[in-house]
Amino acid sequence: MKLHLFALSVVFTSLGDAPATATPAPASNLIAQDHRKWDDGTRIDLAWDLSADDETLVAAYRISKALARFGDFQVPLKFELVEIVKAGTGEYTVADLARKIRLENIKTKYADIVDIESLEATNQKTFPVAYVFQIVAVGRDGATSAAATTPPITPTMEWFDGGRFWFLIIVVIFCGAVIFFIQLARGGRPLKVRKIAGLEAIDEAVGRATEMGRSCLYIPGILDMNDIQTIAGINILARVAKTAASYDAKLEVPTSRSLVMATARETVQGAFLAAGHPDAYRKDLIYYVTDEQFGYVAYVQGMMVREKPAACFYMGAFFAESLILAETGNSIGAIQVAGTAMPAQLPFFVAACDYTLIGEEFFAASAYLSGSAEELGSLKGQDVGKIIVGLGIIIGVIMLSAASVILDGSPGSPFGTALLNAVEYLKQVILT
Amino acid sequence: MTTIDPDTVDVILATDCGSTTTKAILIRKTDQGYRQTHRGEAPSTVEAPFADVTMGVVNAVTEVSELAGRRLLDKHGKIIQPARGGKGCDLYISTSSAGGGLQMLVAGVVRQMTAESAKRAALGAGAIVMDVIASNDKRRPHAQIQRIRELRPDMILISGGTDGGTTTHVVQIAELIAPAKPQPRFGRDYRMPIIFAGNTNAAPLIQNVFDDSVDLSIVANLRPVLERENLGPARDEIHNLFLEHVMAHAPGYDKLMEWVDAPIMPTPAAVGNILQTIAQEQGINAVGVDIGGATTDVFSVFDGTFNRTVSANLGMSYSISNVCAEATLPKILRWVHFEMDERELRNRVKNKMIRPTTIPQTVEALIFEQAVAREALRLAYGQHKEFATTLKGIQQQRTVGDTFSQELGGQTIVDNMALDLLVGSGGVLSHAPRMHQTAMMLIDAFAPEGVTRLAKDSIFMMPHLGVLAQVHPKAAMEVFQRDCLIYLGTCVAAKGTGKPGRPCFEYAVKGPGIDERGEMTFGELKLLELGPGQTATITADPARGVNLGAGAGRRIVQRVEGGTVGLILDARGRPLQLPEDRDACRRAIEQWTSSLDLYPQLATAVAS
Repeated sequence: MKLHLFALSVVFTSLGDAPATATPAPASNLIAQDHRKWDDGTRIDLAWDLSADDETLVAAYRISKALARFGDFQVPLKFELVEIVKAGTGEYTVADLARKIRLENIKTKYADIVDIESLEATNQKTFPVAYVFQIVAVGRDGATSAAATTPPITPTMEWFDGGRFWFLIIVVIFCGAVIFFIQLARGGRPLKVRKIAGLEAIDEAVGRATEMGRSCLYIPGILDMNDIQTIAGINILARVAKTAASYDAKLEVPTSRSLVMATARETVQGAFLAAGHPDAYRKDLIYYVTDEQFGYVAYVQGMMVREKPAACFYMGAFFAESLILAETGNSIGAIQVAGTAMPAQLPFFVAACDYTLIGEEFFAASAYLSGSAEELGSLKGQDVGKIIVGLGIIIGVIMLSAASVILDGSPGSPFGTALLNAVEYLKQVILT
Repeated sequence: MTTIDPDTVDVILATDCGSTTTKAILIRKTDQGYRQTHRGEAPSTVEAPFADVTMGVVNAVTEVSELAGRRLLDKHGKIIQPARGGKGCDLYISTSSAGGGLQMLVAGVVRQMTAESAKRAALGAGAIVMDVIASNDKRRPHAQIQRIRELRPDMILISGGTDGGTTTHVVQIAELIAPAKPQPRFGRDYRMPIIFAGNTNAAPLIQNVFDDSVDLSIVANLRPVLERENLGPARDEIHNLFLEHVMAHAPGYDKLMEWVDAPIMPTPAAVGNILQTIAQEQGINAVGVDIGGATTDVFSVFDGTFNRTVSANLGMSYSISNVCAEATLPKILRWVHFEMDERELRNRVKNKMIRPTTIPQTVEALIFEQAVAREALRLAYGQHKEFATTLKGIQQQRTVGDTFSQELGGQTIVDNMALDLLVGSGGVLSHAPRMHQTAMMLIDAFAPEGVTRLAKDSIFMMPHLGVLAQVHPKAAMEVFQRDCLIYLGTCVAAKGTGKPGRPCFEYAVKGPGIDERGEMTFGELKLLELGPGQTATITADPARGVNLGAGAGRRIVQRVEGGTVGLILDARGRPLQLPEDRDACRRAIEQWTSSLDLYPQLATAVAS
């Protein structure tokens, strides 16, 4: 902040009507070269020899940049201020430069200084950009030296952006964890996945329906197949159908989308076949009702009250109908298992249903059910990622809280400042 | 059988007809109440060449008669009743497990629901369940029929469907059994007794399925709704049919049934009966175990709910190889505090299997046998915990507070912290050279938590008392408390884990003749002298996270009773985990062994 005020004062002083003053000697040997470290092609490093009057007359150096050419086409130089640095500074990195510019942008921004027709004639869509940089020593009384200028230079992009180093580390850890656990699972190591009560209860719910001689009702949400929750719901339907087939129980699936009906039919048919009871599959029990939200709910609710299914499953995306369905199921004494990733509906399901798959648990269910190495490994790997993120949040919160407390008690405390810097580093470097 | 007036009963004779021996006991009314005074036993005579159970009974009673100096049999070999002067008895009762006891096949619709309830009813009635047929047992119908044909049960129990529930599945099960025509074990003219205790609506359909070749009885549904079991009618019917069919066809039982004053009960049913009576009378939770040569029976009563399991392949002689296979030798050897040659041990195990009556001749052999017993008991108790559960298939009532703790139905009701009395019986427990060994086997295998009283059945009298409890509860209770159980002492065990050497709990034990205080550290085991009949009050302050019964870190103040062993303070933690490293494990076992002075002979041998 202080530096900026200082810079402004220098600029205004230099622009005003100055009295006759001593002009400082210019900076010399200005060199522009591509950024020394790995970057994404947006930086140029400048270095110069200090003015001979650096210690006496010079207050600051004014750095400017100008477009020099688009590809082979020269552009009249029009310098714009980049930064003003204090006297004694001999190097600076100019950031946020463009490596290439699109023809459309040139037309919009530089039509007055470039021959657009010539550019268009090349049939190129983009043009490499070259910059020249200028440095002027500004005296304490506002007098400016002669300018030192670089030859045109274009920043180059390295194959890896060093600023993303921490991101690389995080990606390696996260992906590495997933790959590691997949390999572990493939190698036959059993990966322990916490039991999901809602899935374990499927057998119990279908068993209840069987003993009571009633049906099982499965609602795969009210959204179409393009919704991930519906897909997860269909995956769980396969398990429910397989259980129903082996128990010889009746499974009814009313849907509110035709495409979901078609998918559910195929899924249930496959499950009955896998259970060794293909003859027990009845496609007319999986049917389309209506796309209308409350029309569908009215039908299902009526059917529940009339037929009193002993097991109700709600697996998918639900909105206002969640509580209507779950309350009706509860009132008829059914065992109810719900699963959804709609946060607003979860409390209703939790309160009204016997078991609820909450949010990610619902998606994890598919991995749990399939038992495939890839899915289980991914699930475990993601857990590692979540643990790291959780730890990061906890550590960040503790550090920031500690820094606030310490600096509040003793302003300027080196430990407090170090903590604050560490948090800044975490936020600005690691997490960006 | 005549009606019995308990006030007129002074002399009671009870027999238990086992497969190998028939045991008789004499109970007399004394100044101190009813006491068991004499005991006799003789080889059973159910099998050929004798083929008459009463011959064994007469022999056993004769021994009692001679020991007691009281004539109990007349010149025709019949029991003299009622008691007059110095001869005869007022009451004669008997149990039977001869010929393998009561063997049943049970069937239900869903394995975890009605089929499980049926199994519970059969086991509670004292039966051995040979197999469970269910719609979802993953067997194809032809495999199920084949299995039914292979078995030769004494009786079949069919359940399935709630009242008003499924009829299709129930009829399907009956249609598997009817064509299979299972053959009974006894008698050609024997009609297979089949009990139907399922959906009442399905009863007429079931009657249509079976013809006259079976004796079909229909009783109330044992699961009228999924939320409730009604096992009583099915159990009663099993007992009736056991007497009418199984007993009537077993050699000599027709005579024996005429002699007795109360219905003959299957031995395990009688044991369960006395355990239930005790739990009910004293308002306690109790676990009983009977470890035999071929099977291990575990009985439990928690909050009034009785459960019994038979672990058919866990035993100390015929089934010892199976125990070794199931538990694995390293797990057995972790209870042994010195090195043993594995090859020699395998030979020892096989030898015991083919010569079941042999007993250990060296202290090393005894230690190994007791290590096997620990694992057999641990496995049997594990199976019992899995079976003794809350009912499955019932609706749960939730609140938003249950969001992250949605417990499944069918959780075990066996709670070691709530356990008050642990009773052991069976050769390896009852005939251990030192009571300390029996206590330690029970503690290691069952891992009781909190304050638990330990006891052993002195001469396996529980079956006799189980039958007696039906006709004379007062006499049964008095004999049970005074003569049946030998109280070993009380175990105070901490639940929780910690590093060895860290504080576990502080204690102060005060009472007549005892004033002890100190601190227990994790991994420690201590024995305090507290003899039979002695009582004391223990005040214990557990460390953070350690539970002694009042909650984690909370003080307990409880009355404890002594016994032949004493008061055992167990700070090894629960779940009981032995060190993985063999040397560390051996050192730990050695320390515990010396703490309780389990094998003084061995210590003497090492010292010399």
